[in-house]
Amino acid sequence: MLFRPDHRDFRLIGYYSGKVIFGVGLAMLIPLVMAVLLGERNESYAFALGVGLAVSAGRAAELFLYTRHPLSTSHGLAIVAASWLLAPVFAAVPLLLSGHYVSYLDAYFESMSGFATIGLTLVNDLDHLARSMNLWRHLMQFLGGQGIVVVVLTILASAGGRIGALYTGEGREEKILPNVVRTARFIWRVAVGYFLIGSLLLWLAVWSAGLPAFTALYHAMNLFMAAFDTGGFATQSASVGFYHSPLVEAVLLPIMVAGAASFALHYQLWQRRGGELYRNIETRTLALSITGLLIITVVGLARTATFVDLAPLFRHGFFQIVSAHTTTGLATVPGRLYVTDWGVLAPAMIVSAMALGGMAGSTAGGIKAIRVGLIVKGLRRDIRKVLLPEDAVVVETFHSTTKRILRNEQVRAAATILLLWLVLYLAGGLVGLFYGYDLQLSLFESTAAASSGGLSVGVVRPDLEWPLKVLYIAQMVIGRLEFVAVFALAGYLVAIVRGEV
Amino acid sequence: MLLRPDRQDLSLVARFSGRVLLGLGGVMFVPAILAVAWNETNEAAGFVIGACLCLLAGMATQLPPRPRRAPDWQHGMVVSATSWLVGPFFAAVPLYLSGHYSRYLDAYFDAMSGLATAGLAVINDLDHLALSVNLWRHVLQFLGGQGLVVMMLSFFAVGGGAVGMYAGEAREDKILPNVARTARFIWRVALTWFVVGVLALWAALAIAGMPVWQGLFHAITLFMAAFDTGGFAPTSASVALYHSWLVELVIGVLMVAGALSFALHFHLWQRRTGELVRNIEIRFLAASLFALFAVAVAGLASTGAYTSTEALFRRGLFQIVSAHTGTGFNTVPGRMFVTDWGELAPAAIVMAMGLGAMAGSTAGGIKAIRVALTARSVMRQLLHLVLPEDAVTVATFHSGGSRQVLRPEVARSALMILLLYLLLYLVGALTAMFYGYPFDQAMFESTSAAAAVGLSVGITGPNLETGIKIVYILQMWIGRLEFIAVLVFMGFLWSAVRGRT
Amino acid sequence: MSDVRTRPVARGRVLLASLLIVGGLAGIVTLAELLRHPLPDTAPGGPPADEPAGDPRAEVTCDEPVPREGQERSDEDAASASRQFVRSNELYDCPQQFDGRRVRYRGEVVGAILRRADGAWVQLNDDVYADALGPLPAHRDFRGGNAGVGVFVSHQVADAIEAIGGPGERGDILEISGVFHRVDPATAEVAIIRSSEASVSAAGEPLVDPALADRRAAAILFLLLAAGLTVAERIVARRR
Repeated sequence: MLFRPDHRDFRLIGYYSGKVIFGVGLAMLIPLVMAVLLGERNESYAFALGVGLAVSAGRAAELFLYTRHPLSTSHGLAIVAASWLLAPVFAAVPLLLSGHYVSYLDAYFESMSGFATIGLTLVNDLDHLARSMNLWRHLMQFLGGQGIVVVVLTILASAGGRIGALYTGEGREEKILPNVVRTARFIWRVAVGYFLIGSLLLWLAVWSAGLPAFTALYHAMNLFMAAFDTGGFATQSASVGFYHSPLVEAVLLPIMVAGAASFALHYQLWQRRGGELYRNIETRTLALSITGLLIITVVGLARTATFVDLAPLFRHGFFQIVSAHTTTGLATVPGRLYVTDWGVLAPAMIVSAMALGGMAGSTAGGIKAIRVGLIVKGLRRDIRKVLLPEDAVVVETFHSTTKRILRNEQVRAAATILLLWLVLYLAGGLVGLFYGYDLQLSLFESTAAASSGGLSVGVVRPDLEWPLKVLYIAQMVIGRLEFVAVFALAGYLVAIVRGEV
Repeated sequence: MLLRPDRQDLSLVARFSGRVLLGLGGVMFVPAILAVAWNETNEAAGFVIGACLCLLAGMATQLPPRPRRAPDWQHGMVVSATSWLVGPFFAAVPLYLSGHYSRYLDAYFDAMSGLATAGLAVINDLDHLALSVNLWRHVLQFLGGQGLVVMMLSFFAVGGGAVGMYAGEAREDKILPNVARTARFIWRVALTWFVVGVLALWAALAIAGMPVWQGLFHAITLFMAAFDTGGFAPTSASVALYHSWLVELVIGVLMVAGALSFALHFHLWQRRTGELVRNIEIRFLAASLFALFAVAVAGLASTGAYTSTEALFRRGLFQIVSAHTGTGFNTVPGRMFVTDWGELAPAAIVMAMGLGAMAGSTAGGIKAIRVALTARSVMRQLLHLVLPEDAVTVATFHSGGSRQVLRPEVARSALMILLLYLLLYLVGALTAMFYGYPFDQAMFESTSAAAAVGLSVGITGPNLETGIKIVYILQMWIGRLEFIAVLVFMGFLWSAVRGRT
Repeated sequence: MSDVRTRPVARGRVLLASLLIVGGLAGIVTLAELLRHPLPDTAPGGPPADEPAGDPRAEVTCDEPVPREGQERSDEDAASASRQFVRSNELYDCPQQFDGRRVRYRGEVVGAILRRADGAWVQLNDDVYADALGPLPAHRDFRGGNAGVGVFVSHQVADAIEAIGGPGERGDILEISGVFHRVDPATAEVAIIRSSEASVSAAGEPLVDPALADRRAAAILFLLLAAGLTVAERIVARRR
């Protein structure tokens, strides 16, 4: 029994999506200023046009759709999904006008990949791309990344009831709006704090890798945005391999991990509650799974004799696994080598790492550590239940900010979403198979797109068949918004046609 | 708080496992007599030795005084797990003595494969195997298959609480009276099918041009392999040997009959055919067979493996049915799946194998009921996203002759077992990848072993690495017993060591 | 407002609104397509466009022994005997076969020169933008992503490089000869070439990107529209 949405519902969705588009327009001012300063004329026109379009659309929505009606959860979800679909339309305009994309679809793919912090790219000749354009690619990751954290922490987690449970496995009881503002402010404060420290460190590292000082600063800022928001775009086509520097990689590692840590955890650390770090179910799961996957990767790489010495093996194996597990997608190795030189076990571990992903409430994608942790706990409880006498009471607890009791619905919700993730990965893999890519390649790429992992073995390239481009875009949105918001939007669309009055 | 099993428990488990061995030993006299009749002296000696070992071991377990306690379902579980582990050990004796296996492990592998109705074989030179031994391989499938059904219908379904959930339906009957009644019914059905199926196959083989007596032998062995969804074949060419669509058709019908649950057979026996169209499992199976067949045809058509429509449908349909029912017959040499079938069609076969057929049949895999219940529960959770928060919906499904309400615990346990199966498939694939097999082949073979199917792309053979052999044996055992019995068995061992007295 | 609360939307109005939104989005796409760089009418040379480079589905066979140079031959021999350049794609397709072998390679210096104590790293791209067609901003003939190899060169060679490829600049083309390593024994870098000889074979040049007048006009137009709407919104907001 669906209710057909109301006049006000559309107004609300349009009004708030307009605000987001307006924000994207304002953000475009940054590359616009840079293009003007660097004398990149055509690029500056492109950004001016982008700003003009986005700001016009945003202000028009403000003018004509103004409403003070309160938001409900389903509105919030639909707004999120709608903004994630609409914002790339505007962000893609300057990208297309850069002349480095074959079609609007490619530019849309690229901006979706940026906003969703994926890192797959369809750019032609990245190494000759104008600086302002390259900055915009990276800036989209920052906007999308921090934006998704706001969304996750406020709308999804505070939705309460079923959606909250479906999302994080815990239902909070707070209202949305007061919380949004406070949470958002905290998130941006943390992000800016990290930005200053991280960019500075990266600047020093990149500088010492041999780049001229100003180029190094530019690279450092871009790298930071790609790493902290677990995006994975890179300034150069060779990604992190370009720098040939263990120091740069070493600085990137903690930034990626910080990006994959949930903001709830950042908050705890901010409050100097360091104990949370090793008690939290998510950090534990993450640490265990990174260690496990790393070990198997090392075994695999050792068997194929890709690396003879232990030090390079760990350096590249560890970076790749962390980059995949945090769903960043920066690489120190040309992607083609995963297929031709890394054997079968190591790439499989990279795929698993991407599929598992980081923490809920961070910019990382994938299944998320909380779900995996809850399911493992749930399994443990089931097994104990089977072994114990029928009337024994089995209680399993987990630690997330405080000690909590594992409830049945949490496990079920976590398992449901996990299953949806697997189906999403597999569905993309199947379509890849249909176009003749082998299982390894198509599963790698489909997982990279859906989990926002963003590492690539070369399937995603400008020549990619357009249905696959569309499919990967869909996977990016669905994966980024963790099904819930997309289904809510789909529900709205169904309700328009089928709903009862 | 685990209780250490006392002498009574141990004696109960030993006693009932011993009875299984006694039965096995008794059956072994059948091929022994045939071997004498066929003048296969050495093989006859092998069977007699095997039978005597079985009987000796079985008798020894009956020696301790009869325990005072009646067995409960936990004992049943442990007995099942033990029998399926120890049974192949004794059944392998005549196989090993046939001289077609280089090591005892190989003979054990084939015996396990037979009893678990998997159908993977590591035998050397099958085409020159003595008739009596060949018959024994197939009899193992019949014993394992029907025995498993008895176990599923009696122990599993009545476990109450934790275990009943895992079967997807909880019955409230007592064990023993039910076991006897159920077992009698099962054997009656199996024998009827045996007579009808063998006659039909015999006729089909005669039409296909086979000499009469050889035809009877092939008909009997093929029937046992098909109806118990085993997948051994009397010759290495499997069903492709006969070059006859009629034989394939008859086998196809038998495979489907074998993949139907005995509950459904019961309803059909009672002339309640309405169950055929209403049962949730049947519906799911039909849909999934159709969908996977469509995928396979799409894949085969795009690679151009078969130009004629008849060849495409005949090969494609037979392979999909053979995979989905967990049988594992080929009409295509296994290597061709890799070299000639492209990417999509083998993927469809792997999915068919992974899904499996109905619970309470001899088929393996995740089982239709679990997938269907999971799908329904997921759909319902998603529906709740778009419904008002306070909406109440009830999901129902049709099974066992009546409409039942889908309870959250049932859905959750179905989902958990489903995830465990996926994990089992992956672990096996990882092992093969460790030995350097490519991902797609490793996945194919591992799924085939864990879902008790028996299709092979050529990894399984006498030269298979020992590590993989052991993993496949474990996969067959765990997959066949659907985790629960294995978990209880592990718990039993664990508590024997660590439990409190 | 009270009548709005109970009045559901008519399907016709929903349809109209959806059409409006779709129309607006289509307008943006059309506008962007109109204002993009002029695309080339004919391919300005290079490998034919219908020959996709780096298709991951292509069968790659690595078993043939590399016909170029064996390790056993001396540097001078190798360099003079082989006039053929190896492609980066070949190196990545068959790293085991090329590991430790002397190769000749040619590519455009891009990004930056990374100066180290005993030499410098340069990224040499050998894709179609480096050599055959020139950088994309010069012709807008789309041929896929970049491909290149990291090369370690001596300080003298690094000093000789004048133009570094990047935004607005076509880099020098460097011809090198050196040993390919799957994993560099000294620095643990992956898939790189340590060059022993290198020379600049073609000088780079700045790229000219003529200003697009129609794009400028459109940009100004929409900036004005945005400004106008912003002002209007402010006025209305103050009245609310």
